[in-house]
Amino acid sequence: MRLSFRYISDKAFTGLTAVSVVLLSLVLIVVLAPMIWRGSSAVVFKATVEFRKMQMDLFNRGEPSELQAEIARTESFRKEVYETLDKFKKGIDTESLSDQARRIHRQFGSELRLRNITGDEYTQLRSLTRELRDRLLTAFESRDIAEIRENIEYVSGYKNDPRLTDTSASALFELGTNYLESAQSIDLKQFEQYSESIEEIEQSIRDLFGPRPGEPTPAGVRLRYGATRWDQAAKCLDRLFWAQKWVETEPAKPLIKIKLSRAHQFAGTELEKLFEYMEQNVQKLLNPRLTFYWQYFIDDSFNSHYFGGVGPEILGTVLITLLGMLFVVPLGLISAAYLVECASDNPAVRIIRMCINTLAGVPSIVFGLFGLTFFILYLFPLLGAESKGCILAASLTLAVLTLPVMIRASEEAIRAVPQTYKEASLSLGASGFRTFVTVTLPAALPGILTGVILSLSRIAGETAPILFTGAVALGPVPKSVFDPTRTLSYGSYDMAVGDRISMMVPHNQYGMVVTLVILILCLNTLAIVLRTRVFKKLKGQ
Amino acid sequence: MDRQKQSKSESLNNKDTAECACSIVEAEDFSFYYGSTMGVKNITMEVFPCSVTAIIGPSGCGKSTFLRAINRINDLIPNTRIEGTLLVNGHDIYAKKTNLVNLRQQVGMVFQKPNPFPKSIFDNIAYGPRLQGTTKGSKLQQIVEESLKAAALWEEVKDDLRKSALALSGGQQQRLCIARALATRPSVLLMDEPCSALDPIATGKIEDLIEQLKSDYTIVIVTHNMQQAARVSERTAFFCLGELIEYDFTPKIFRNPGKKQTEDYITGRFG
Repeated sequence: MRLSFRYISDKAFTGLTAVSVVLLSLVLIVVLAPMIWRGSSAVVFKATVEFRKMQMDLFNRGEPSELQAEIARTESFRKEVYETLDKFKKGIDTESLSDQARRIHRQFGSELRLRNITGDEYTQLRSLTRELRDRLLTAFESRDIAEIRENIEYVSGYKNDPRLTDTSASALFELGTNYLESAQSIDLKQFEQYSESIEEIEQSIRDLFGPRPGEPTPAGVRLRYGATRWDQAAKCLDRLFWAQKWVETEPAKPLIKIKLSRAHQFAGTELEKLFEYMEQNVQKLLNPRLTFYWQYFIDDSFNSHYFGGVGPEILGTVLITLLGMLFVVPLGLISAAYLVECASDNPAVRIIRMCINTLAGVPSIVFGLFGLTFFILYLFPLLGAESKGCILAASLTLAVLTLPVMIRASEEAIRAVPQTYKEASLSLGASGFRTFVTVTLPAALPGILTGVILSLSRIAGETAPILFTGAVALGPVPKSVFDPTRTLSYGSYDMAVGDRISMMVPHNQYGMVVTLVILILCLNTLAIVLRTRVFKKLKGQ
Repeated sequence: MDRQKQSKSESLNNKDTAECACSIVEAEDFSFYYGSTMGVKNITMEVFPCSVTAIIGPSGCGKSTFLRAINRINDLIPNTRIEGTLLVNGHDIYAKKTNLVNLRQQVGMVFQKPNPFPKSIFDNIAYGPRLQGTTKGSKLQQIVEESLKAAALWEEVKDDLRKSALALSGGQQQRLCIARALATRPSVLLMDEPCSALDPIATGKIEDLIEQLKSDYTIVIVTHNMQQAARVSERTAFFCLGELIEYDFTPKIFRNPGKKQTEDYITGRFG
């Protein structure tokens, strides 16, 4: 090989390795960074007063007096919103107006009877109010502004009738004039659309602020509070200000969604200033504050993770991981010790080795089914335990899953210990077992810890084996190893394919996944640090 | 046999036998086979107590095989067999009821490449005594100190016995291994080319050490270095192709060897 070519190929090889390292880091960043960014929004976000209300009620967190003061402040601003809404509704809620008219007529009747007015006077007055009521009803049901004006003006004509002043019937006139006022300002042709819009507006406001003060508390926890997060509130505001409609722009093409401004729709009415008011005073209405919700990692969740954190999931994952490690590390070590120290090269041992290597490639779902069949359906009843999924079954299954990895790593590590250590120990009078435990094992520790690290990551993150053997999507915090548990891995899957409610809280979905990633990262870092220290000690630093 | 009996009485006259509590290693027609390959054949020799016996010979002549047979460290290798007898202090060490642990504590070994355990200096030396059952801290401390002094290493490491043994230099590590072997109070010390991996200064220190130790231990040293054999030993055995060619006092071997093969080797006609 000519020198220049060798030089070039050397440089090219170095360059290629550098490029691949950079590429790997880029891919890692591209995949992890958005996930971590979105997941961190589960812990660090702008929380509204609704959030603090929820924390106080569900988790007993926060200063009660401070919270009350805050609630009082926001409610004083919200009052304006409700009042505007009510006023407008009153103006166009013709059904309730009609009911009110009828009610007033009946009330007047009973008032007359109380005053002992009977006979002709009674009939006269009653027929008058009946006529007025009917005129009002016609006006309410009409969609022609001229007709409405005619009827209301007729009714108002009787306003100063001495027989009706200072009675309950005088309420009829107020009803009429109010209606005329609002009827004049709205486009009656759009009356039906208004009621639809009003419903949507009211729903958005309920989403934002929660139930109105004075309304009965809803049974579902989710419905008791408004938008707890600022990003959630932004979405509700968007739905409030913009109506979404599907329109056909071109025939035979799919419909597209367009946004129509509601403020524009209600232009000229009472409701118009609602939108303006809300837009200007959003901060005061919700009082958002940047919060560091670290309790996310210890809180239980409510309503399919709508509120709360991933505490039980973390607990479940940690329990299963630790128990699984407890099973796999001794078993793997002893098997590796047998294979290296004691096993002679006969066909039986060769078959065992082949089986171990094959098991390393079996899909994890097969292990899950094995765990279900063997541990839960066969072994547990045999030993008298209940035949249901639990932490014990899950960790046993996961231990069997990672056993080949552990055995292989330990075997390599034990084989790598120099023969001279063994010779020195034996020549000092140690037995084979003593030599293994006091000299070979400590010297093989870094390699064994590598096996431990690999097993740890595998056990903490595997989902398929625990599907049937111990993981549940919803359930109480486990009290013993014979209970099933929620885990981060299964929970992530459940939220991803799960119900509507999970879709409403993407920050929780991301949060759970990122928690799993961070948990495994921490466990791995711990194990790597430990291994480095053992390695340094073995080298003599 | 006559010559050997004469040498024995000489050695007995030359030393204070009352102080000498060392063993005698005797091989009678001893052969060692790795599977079907011969290691050594028909070795008959007696190693005398409280002296240094060197075994020299070209590569592959069975010196290390014979040495390692004395403390049965060859048992680690599968498919080996022996013929004849090998006695240490009159006991047949290849008999069925031999206590290997006892044997290895009585017959210490120092290997060619220094192999201290990846533990502290203290733990290395205390390894043997701990095996023997000594657990009291003060007793262990005493044994460690004595062993290090006997191996001429005490002054250099006494400040920090908790330091890792792997942090010592090559010569220090080898002296540590010697101290470790001495800690079990053996009566025989086997040394398999102890200085071949060391520099001349360290080699000199080890040779001085051997000189100091020989009054208390029976030392058998395998060496490639003829000058070293001439320097340190009282008797020398010459092995060639698995057989014992000649065994006599060192001055005689080197100045006036009996066999031609010995002379050829000494003078360097083959190596």
